[in-house]
Amino acid sequence: MFRAKTKDLRRTMSRRGLLLAGGSALLTSFLGARLFQLQVAQNNRYQRLSDRNQFDVRIVAPTRGRLFDRKMRLLAGNAESFELYITPLYVDDLQQTLAALGQIVELTERDIKAVLLAARKGPSFRDIIVRDDLSQRELARLAVRSPLFGGVSFGKSLRRIYPQGSLACHITGYVSPVTAREIKRNQSLEKTPYLGTGKVGVEFAHEDYLRGLPGRERIEVNAKGQPVRVLRDVDAMSGKDLQLSIDVGVQLQAAEILRRGQLEPVELGSLQVQRALAKNTELQAHIALGDDLVLRDAKDRLVPPESGAVVVMDIHSGEVISLVSAPMFDPNLFTGTLLTRDWRRLNSHPRTPLLNRATSGQYAPGSTFKMVVGLAAIEAGVISKDTQFNCSGDMELGNATFHCWRKGGHGMMNIISALEQSCDVFIYEVALKTGIRKIKDMAHRLGLGDVTGIGLPGEKQGIIPSHEWKLANQGRVWTPGETVVSSIGQGYVLATPLQLAVMTARLANGKQAVTPRLVKSIGDTASDFAPLDIDPYALAIVREGMFKVMNGGLGTARNYDLDKSLGGMAGKTGTVQVKRITKAQREEGIVNNIDRPWAERDHALFVAYAPVKRPRYAISVVVEHGGSGSSTAAPVARDILTQLMQKQG
Amino acid sequence: MTVFKILFRIPWHLLFLAGILVLVGSLALYSASQGSWQPWAGRHAVRAIVGMALVVCVAFIDFSFIKRMSYVFLAAAILVLLAVMVIGTGQGVSRWISIGGMNFQPSEPAKLAVIMALARYFSSQPHDRMRSFVWYLPAFVIIAVPFVMIVKQPDLGTALMLLFGGLVVVFSAGLPWRYVFGSLVAVLAAVPLLWVQLKAYQKVRVMTFLNPESDVLGAGYQITQSKIALGSGGFFGKGFLMGSQSQLNYLPEKQTDFVFTMIGEEFGFAGNIFILLIYLLITIAILRISFRVISRFAQLTCIGIGMMVFFYMFVNVAMVSGLLPVVGAPLPLISYGGTSMLTVFIGFGIVASAIVHDRRQS
Repeated sequence: MFRAKTKDLRRTMSRRGLLLAGGSALLTSFLGARLFQLQVAQNNRYQRLSDRNQFDVRIVAPTRGRLFDRKMRLLAGNAESFELYITPLYVDDLQQTLAALGQIVELTERDIKAVLLAARKGPSFRDIIVRDDLSQRELARLAVRSPLFGGVSFGKSLRRIYPQGSLACHITGYVSPVTAREIKRNQSLEKTPYLGTGKVGVEFAHEDYLRGLPGRERIEVNAKGQPVRVLRDVDAMSGKDLQLSIDVGVQLQAAEILRRGQLEPVELGSLQVQRALAKNTELQAHIALGDDLVLRDAKDRLVPPESGAVVVMDIHSGEVISLVSAPMFDPNLFTGTLLTRDWRRLNSHPRTPLLNRATSGQYAPGSTFKMVVGLAAIEAGVISKDTQFNCSGDMELGNATFHCWRKGGHGMMNIISALEQSCDVFIYEVALKTGIRKIKDMAHRLGLGDVTGIGLPGEKQGIIPSHEWKLANQGRVWTPGETVVSSIGQGYVLATPLQLAVMTARLANGKQAVTPRLVKSIGDTASDFAPLDIDPYALAIVREGMFKVMNGGLGTARNYDLDKSLGGMAGKTGTVQVKRITKAQREEGIVNNIDRPWAERDHALFVAYAPVKRPRYAISVVVEHGGSGSSTAAPVARDILTQLMQKQG
Repeated sequence: MTVFKILFRIPWHLLFLAGILVLVGSLALYSASQGSWQPWAGRHAVRAIVGMALVVCVAFIDFSFIKRMSYVFLAAAILVLLAVMVIGTGQGVSRWISIGGMNFQPSEPAKLAVIMALARYFSSQPHDRMRSFVWYLPAFVIIAVPFVMIVKQPDLGTALMLLFGGLVVVFSAGLPWRYVFGSLVAVLAAVPLLWVQLKAYQKVRVMTFLNPESDVLGAGYQITQSKIALGSGGFFGKGFLMGSQSQLNYLPEKQTDFVFTMIGEEFGFAGNIFILLIYLLITIAILRISFRVISRFAQLTCIGIGMMVFFYMFVNVAMVSGLLPVVGAPLPLISYGGTSMLTVFIGFGIVASAIVHDRRQS
């Protein structure tokens, strides 16, 4: 009995042992199935996850193309710059680490706050830039101590530099870190780290050409984010270099001549000057931008340099040799982190240094517009070379009186003498007979009223008014009085200095509708311009008038001609009222320009081409509130052309 | 019995299978330290050789002596567990005891002690008592005391393995099926009570287990990385020393609890299945021995030890492949860690002693 029971129990135990063995085998196959699921069925998915773990795919910023002037002098290049990054994920105590870093490199309270903010906002594995533009000394100190900091790393990048400083600022524009708005437009920008994009100027206009294509590298990283090795998948493709038509030498002289005008620079160091500066906020704003040119005007007042614009272009190729807008700014300020202080200074500067006056400044062209009226009238057969009108000093039209700039009048005038002496009344009469429609048509043919297509962003098209324009913009009909005012380049008429240079170039060229270009095209000749299609006879007459401006006995700019050895020049002055002169003022006698506040003084304009016989260059000069076109703007043009042409030999 | 006879009867095939696992373990640890015998692989191999020698030594001990000592072992184990509560070391937990600079985890040999004490208890009970539940109650006390102590350490993984090992012995002793199902129901009912007892980090682990992606860089990190490492290994693996997850330190604890994952990454599905089969073979070999020994004590001890080895493997593999929460369970003979290896080798020694001294004459 007992034996039987023991046997029975043994059987139970054996059965259960077998059951356990079977259960083990079952559970093992269950595990095997799970492993099959992970390792075979879902292998692709986990392989991908593993790659993502292992490799930190980084986009390598391409080297940006450089900008050169026409003689291959560097306008914009790239300099090595070192940055310090921090990866919050691998930092135990961000504040403490930053404080410790602050002992090694210069870190402001604001830098630290910015990093802490970025760390709170962004994903913790993304690098945050702590400092850029590390000095050699800081680098050396960091190199020794950085192993002590987890999650801190360096990076080398290229920083845009403008070795010419402010000289070509409005041409090159500048590169600055990519903005959220640009990323919205082009998602791919976000992936390139520390990418700079052109914001204005050629840097903006030719962004795609200059930027190049980013490369891609995979950095094998361990779980702590430390790089183990680098695999380069796609090399970054550098952006292409661009050669501009600008001549840095001419640019430098043009800027200096324009800014200095006819005034004397003063020594900044003297106590008297320093005292005067302390009281003059406008001058302080100007000096804060790093400009050390201060002038003394005819009334012995300290004034900032002249502001305005100069454009010099080749009348055959359309190449812009110099394009100056003053005041200027240093584009290098923008390439790294723009300091709020600098940004405030640039923005609060009373003379808007960021504005490119040459392409985006719109000025009433004044008497420089008279060539347009003359050409339109001759071409329309309204006048000939010999058609005469008497200038009595004013002209009645309806119940309005339109004055000539010369109180007593010019007497009998023809188109040539009217240009020479800049007679207003003759032009009024001619304009009324020609009509605004034909004048407008001629203006457009000379490049006014349309964007020139130089390829700089923000270019303005100016205004050439007409019946249609006024109806569309003012909702009222055009009056003959407005034709009169427009004929001397005032009223609604606006043009940019660049447009005035183009107009002059077309006048001088005579055959082709030259358009300006800033990028030097290689092997591309001037032959691809549209024909100008203006009666050569009419052109010859107007040119004769412009010649007389410099050479006639009564020419408005007779004292400022280019030296005869350089071939002389033909030009036209323009003096543009900024503030309306009231009848009362006129009767009292007009206050002398220099006695008015700066912002109320007349703009001084001058356009010219040279040499007279075989023209090569066209120039336009605008000196803001500079006074008279002849005495202020003409000598600027003369001096610039002298420098340019002497160099040409 | 002559020395020759004893040597002849030792289950060398068990040692051979263990040797394969030790070899695999040494290679894995060599890879875990980026291709170096330091600091793990060399010591692992040396310990294994010592452990195998220990198996042979224990095989020479008379099995009846082992049976006599089994309650003493349990008492000693409970005492040491008490000591751990007082002087134990560990990060926020007390699991280890330092003996002469070596860390010793007493919960591991406690498993063996429980198995043997249960085997002793059941072998001493007359057969007819085995139908009544009352006579099983002392067995549950034998399990419960060390179980609670280990849970309090806290080391849920080891405690559960001890529980399973003990229950297997109870089951094999012939616990009627109605009680088997009854206790299953009871255990399920106890889950909420157990949940309340869990420490915060244990709860986090369980929650993370249920949804590892919820916290990829936090508590779910280990299991997420482990699954990536396993999954990316594919069928044949990335190759020895080529496992990027392991070599680049994404995989945590790759020399201890996650060594199976590392093998999976470098040797793939094939390598893992190979290891599973070796463990299964060891388990079945020990269960087979349990059929050949005479006494109930020997039989139950062998079943308990065989299943203990299996549970080790099962819990570890299920954990690293995301089927169980991360409870902290080593893969014996492969994971770096002396105590589990020692426990397994002593277990093998006891099995060897049983088959050497307590076998049926054929």
